[in-house]
Amino acid sequence: MFPGADAPRAEADYALVGAPLDASTSFEPGARFGPDRVRRYAEAFDDYDRHTDQQFSELALHDHGDVGPTADTGEYLTFLRGTCGDFREAGAVPLLVGGEHTVTVAGVRAVEPDVFVCLDAHLDLRESYAGDPLSHATVTRHALEVADRAVVLGARTGSEAEWERASEGDVRAVAPADVSDWEPDFDPDDSVYLSVDIDAFDPAYAPGTGTKEPFGIEPREGRRVVREVAPFAEGFDVVEVNDRDDGQAAVLAAKLLRAFVYSHAADR
Amino acid sequence: MATKQVEVRDLDEGSYVMIDDVACKINSYSTAKPGKHGSAKARVEAEGVFDGKKRNLSQPVDAKIRVPIINRKQGQVVSTSGDEAQVMDLETYDTFTIALPDGVDLSPDDDIEYLEMEEQRKIV
Repeated sequence: MFPGADAPRAEADYALVGAPLDASTSFEPGARFGPDRVRRYAEAFDDYDRHTDQQFSELALHDHGDVGPTADTGEYLTFLRGTCGDFREAGAVPLLVGGEHTVTVAGVRAVEPDVFVCLDAHLDLRESYAGDPLSHATVTRHALEVADRAVVLGARTGSEAEWERASEGDVRAVAPADVSDWEPDFDPDDSVYLSVDIDAFDPAYAPGTGTKEPFGIEPREGRRVVREVAPFAEGFDVVEVNDRDDGQAAVLAAKLLRAFVYSHAADR
Repeated sequence: MATKQVEVRDLDEGSYVMIDDVACKINSYSTAKPGKHGSAKARVEAEGVFDGKKRNLSQPVDAKIRVPIINRKQGQVVSTSGDEAQVMDLETYDTFTIALPDGVDLSPDDDIEYLEMEEQRKIV
């Protein structure tokens, strides 16, 4: 269980769902260990958050446990979308912990946001990768089937076709150097889904991820984005943490998940 | 109620299942594993055949579940009145009243197909 996430399901305002999918990982595998790692490396955190003056264990978070994948990724995403949808119907904000980035597709389909905001090194705008239309390199493309627009913060790599797609009006790619100046630009009625791919951060800070990409954003910049987007967000995930480091990626992911909950709860 | 028992793994999109003692048609069927070494769990999203209400269930794939036995039958419209029709079953010649689905316009002598389970009927 994620430390402090001991609210009963029926009383939950936030529902953490572990999604250890590791099917399409294209370089270093291990995302299947992400949910366990994130829970483990959250153990040392203080319950109290000075920034919002709240105790984490009082914010009604329920840990649903992991929903493990079966062979058919499409079917698994449908299951996961249903699980997240159940929590939403019960009034809880779903918090997915990956697993590879593909699990975000389930979260986005459950929330049906107007805006998809993503911290990510990669544009993820491919139609398919290695013949797989549900690859972790296609997430933003799938999100745009649901959301009106996407903002990819920390984007620094993609194929030529992806950059062309990113130049269209419904996508905004913000380079790492510009993330510190980015401000949320949502309409008051917009619903937002926030996804954190841990590889948005420089691999110096989060080496435990499948497709490392140098020259990434700083943890403090990412935390500011999470804190500022959280009040608008109806769903959240943090993905692509694997077990190939000493906990740096997992501890950053866990801290950002907590930052999201603190900031979202403070705005309620 | 006429039902038969199957395993959850035998269900499929488009087939029927009993959820909360109500006959439902399955809109979505998906599976996932609940955890290490756990048997796969299936999630079924369905809607009531006769009341249209959405219902879900989540069960291990090897759990037993009941599916309704729903007959698909032929009928002929005798008369219509407002949003109802008087229909004669073409096999038994029984006549009964049945609700017209939204947007369906029928006239006397039209042939229809309908679903029947005990006293519940619905035009397809």
